[in-house]
Amino acid sequence: MAGELESCKSLSGLLNGLAQEAFHGHPGITEELLRSQLYPEVPPEEFRPFLAKMKGILKSIASADMDFNQLEAFLTAQTKKQGGITSDQAAVISKFWKSHKTKIRESLMNQSRWDSGLRGLSWRVDSKSQSRHSAQIHTPVAIMELEIGKSGQIVAVLALWFYSCGQMGCLRGSQETKP
Amino acid sequence: MEGSSEPLLDAKAEVTNQLLDFQWKLGMAVSLDSCRSLKYPKVAVTLKVGERSSQVQNKSFEMTIPPFQNFYRQFKEIAAIIETL
Repeated sequence: MAGELESCKSLSGLLNGLAQEAFHGHPGITEELLRSQLYPEVPPEEFRPFLAKMKGILKSIASADMDFNQLEAFLTAQTKKQGGITSDQAAVISKFWKSHKTKIRESLMNQSRWDSGLRGLSWRVDSKSQSRHSAQIHTPVAIMELEIGKSGQIVAVLALWFYSCGQMGCLRGSQETKP
Repeated sequence: MEGSSEPLLDAKAEVTNQLLDFQWKLGMAVSLDSCRSLKYPKVAVTLKVGERSSQVQNKSFEMTIPPFQNFYRQFKEIAAIIETL
């Protein structure tokens, strides 16, 4: 049984499943699903602590946003611990973090965005040939539709128009960096 | 985009909102409860929209860098097309 858990071919899939559930917000990835799909030979009571260990390791790595030096040091320490991981497992975890780090950070950022985000954007350009309110002829107008909202909830759909550069409203901005 | 609502951008659609102002700020996320060590830039935008005489509304949203780059790219495309007209 221990041999099954030590084998690495399923570990990559396990880390993926853990990341989907913990970072990318996909529900329904249960312990039983992971066990039956990836480690069907392993009984649940053995699988549970193994899963907890891998989840803990992945969360530690993500929480510290480890660079590759920190990752090396951390995983080496894990291999030396009592009840830790094997060096093959460390290699799989290292490979996983290197290829998924950017996506996981992005997901964590999105999860912590408590205000609205930009859910969708589309646009067209019209050429206005006449207007009741002004004498502009053949003025290009860009019309943009923005979907603004929090996850699962659209709070605004704006169709707004703005003329080409010379006639756009004033632009101001403020720049803020936290220490 | 989820497309269950009627599309607003068909050619006959009446567009009345005008973009009156565009404000932005660039911030840096330093730490999250789920990720303690983070240096992640993000852009927040507030659009002031309204019809000429009616109430002005503020619409705000936040973007991480990849969606912001897409947002910026769309404006560049629009500008390029307008140049040709």
